[in-house]
Amino acid sequence: MFSYYLRLAWISILRHWGLSLLMVCAIGLGIGAAMTTVTVNYLMSADPIPEKSQQLYYVQLDSWDVNDPFDDGLNPPDQLTFTDSSNLMRAKKAFRQNVQAQAFGVIEPNDPEMLPLIVNGRANSADFFPMFNVPFIYGSGWSNESDESKEFVVVLSKETNDKLFGGENSVGKAIKLEGNMFRVVGVIDTWQPKPRFYDISTGAFNDSEDIFVPFHLIADEKISRSGNTNCWKPSGDGFKAFLASECIWTQFWVELKTEQDKADYQQFLNAYVQEQKQFGRFQRPLDNRLSNVMQWLESQEVVADDAQMMMAMSFMFLIVCLLNTVGLLLAKFLGKAPEIGLRQALGASKSTLFSQYIIESACIGILGGVLGLILAYLGLKGVEGLYGDYMKGLASLDANMAIFAVLLALISTILAGLYPTWRACNIQPAQQLKNQ
Amino acid sequence: MLVMKNINKIFQTADIQTHALRDFCLQVNEGDFVSVTGPSGSGKTTFLNIAGLLETYSNGEFLLDGEDVGKLNDNGRSRMRNQKIGFIFQGFNLIPDLNLYDNVDVPLRYRGFNGKERKRRIEENLERVGLASRMKHLPSQLSGGQQQRVAIARALATDPRFLLADEPTGNLDSEMAQSVMSLLEDINQQGTTIIMVTHDAQLAQRAKRTIQVKDGRVSELAIVTPHLNQAIA
Ligand SMILES: Nc1ncnc2c1ncn2[C@@H]1O[C@H](COP(=O)(O)OP(=O)(O)OP(=O)(O)O)[C@@H](O)[C@H]1O
Ligand SMILES: [Mg+2]
Repeated sequence: MFSYYLRLAWISILRHWGLSLLMVCAIGLGIGAAMTTVTVNYLMSADPIPEKSQQLYYVQLDSWDVNDPFDDGLNPPDQLTFTDSSNLMRAKKAFRQNVQAQAFGVIEPNDPEMLPLIVNGRANSADFFPMFNVPFIYGSGWSNESDESKEFVVVLSKETNDKLFGGENSVGKAIKLEGNMFRVVGVIDTWQPKPRFYDISTGAFNDSEDIFVPFHLIADEKISRSGNTNCWKPSGDGFKAFLASECIWTQFWVELKTEQDKADYQQFLNAYVQEQKQFGRFQRPLDNRLSNVMQWLESQEVVADDAQMMMAMSFMFLIVCLLNTVGLLLAKFLGKAPEIGLRQALGASKSTLFSQYIIESACIGILGGVLGLILAYLGLKGVEGLYGDYMKGLASLDANMAIFAVLLALISTILAGLYPTWRACNIQPAQQLKNQ
Repeated sequence: MLVMKNINKIFQTADIQTHALRDFCLQVNEGDFVSVTGPSGSGKTTFLNIAGLLETYSNGEFLLDGEDVGKLNDNGRSRMRNQKIGFIFQGFNLIPDLNLYDNVDVPLRYRGFNGKERKRRIEENLERVGLASRMKHLPSQLSGGQQQRVAIARALATDPRFLLADEPTGNLDSEMAQSVMSLLEDINQQGTTIIMVTHDAQLAQRAKRTIQVKDGRVSELAIVTPHLNQAIA
């Protein structure tokens, strides 16, 4: 009987192609929108550095106001003071450690014809590069020795190197940044972790930086910092006072290889804070945290708001589309009332009719699912246009996504078909067979 | 055999009750050909729908081949309709989306015959009504009389014991009506019990037995014996 119902469904869909097309479009649009946002969410919540995300930890210390805790005391501040990050850096208790802040500057090209280049930068420690598996085309990052001897070194992004040196190997060459000469030590290959986990405070999906310079240059006022600054008491006058203040504006990452290392580091942090308490700092209860990459992204709600809102809205849109489908199916099935009455007279029971019409709904659902997939594909192309390289690798999701989309369409259409089908089965044959 | 004892049917609408059948009593024997006449609104269609298990009755007793219909559930009633009863209606009641072949196929599918058996029955019965050559046509491509013959072919395809016809010739011209009537007589000759509602007194006379329904009750007009019938012819 299944193949008979399939055939009847097919005949019915073709005969009433206008109505069928409307339903397929309604479901297709709903599924397309839902699948696009589901995929975006899926990709956004992806692990940006799967090979290492369990070993990289973001450090948080609760240095905030005892009377007015940060985030109502739920989470310690999301950045560190310069004092603390410098102290942790100096202690070198982790396998690798990196202090960083966002920076910016102006490059005066060697070629006098070229206009000055305003660049987004990152001031960070030497460990940044090996820690985050940064890929290099030329050269490499700078060494810890360079940091210690406060050298003027710079790592360029591929794009910046293309602009300044036409894509040639520029290692060893000099550039003039903020009036100082910097030696190029490396050029990074295209590198765009999504989310840009190493600094989500300035936008989890922002582009990675144009240049990377040593962090000490900020303290020496050789380069300007940007990014977020948060203070809970006055920072005093002048840059020196600012550096020594309780303002938070630095980010601190450590690489810890084992759980034991992590426990040790946690202990070290606690001991450090206890020590600082003697100087009248850290008056809040001990709340020092080490979050690995995924924990950190989650606690900062990287996927949150926008994308989740969009996903919720697209599912509501799907529901609206399904309600429309309910209406259309109802119209279609009740339009068949005489046929249903006749089929009952010819020996169809309610359960037989139920199977027939639910299968017809399911067929429309599958067609809608296929259309939805096509629309989701186009939608993702659009998102790809907005997000660039971020969406690459989508192809690998296709099989799972296709199955999910068609299943979603199938199940939701069957749900949408339940009420119209139930109504159709309960048509009284005698009323329908009255002489017209 | 069909036996109705004191069947009552009351239609309850918002403000009025219609007593469509009142203590309706009737026995129809195997192989009979009963024509039912009566004024409009007297309950003929209601009786036929109840006889065909398309409608429930308010109270009374109804036995079809000895089985108490009142005790059947939806599945049982569907099965009984499918196996024992064939319908022909005034409105031709073919499924417009399906061609003639598929229309005749419908009750055979519900019966669960295999493909070969269905094909044999469909072809045989369309042949019987003279429409075998138009199997692939849609109902809308046929004349009214042809459509009615398809409905008859479909009713016969399951070899029903009872054929219930509600004004089967109501929409046909007299010539067409005569040919449909002849077809029904043939079928009856072959053993199928027929109950036919009609407004046409002449056609009614051609049945073996004529009953009149008035105000929801049966009043037998005359029992025309086959012997007499032949004598008239
Ligand atoms: N579904 C219904 N709801 C309410 N009343 C109904 C319903 N069906 C039939 N009736 C009433 O029952 C009575 C008998 O109707 P029925 O259709 O059996 O008449 P009929 O003898 O077939 O008439 P006709 O010759 O005009 O076809 C009528 O008064 C009619 O109004
Ligand atoms: Mg009637």
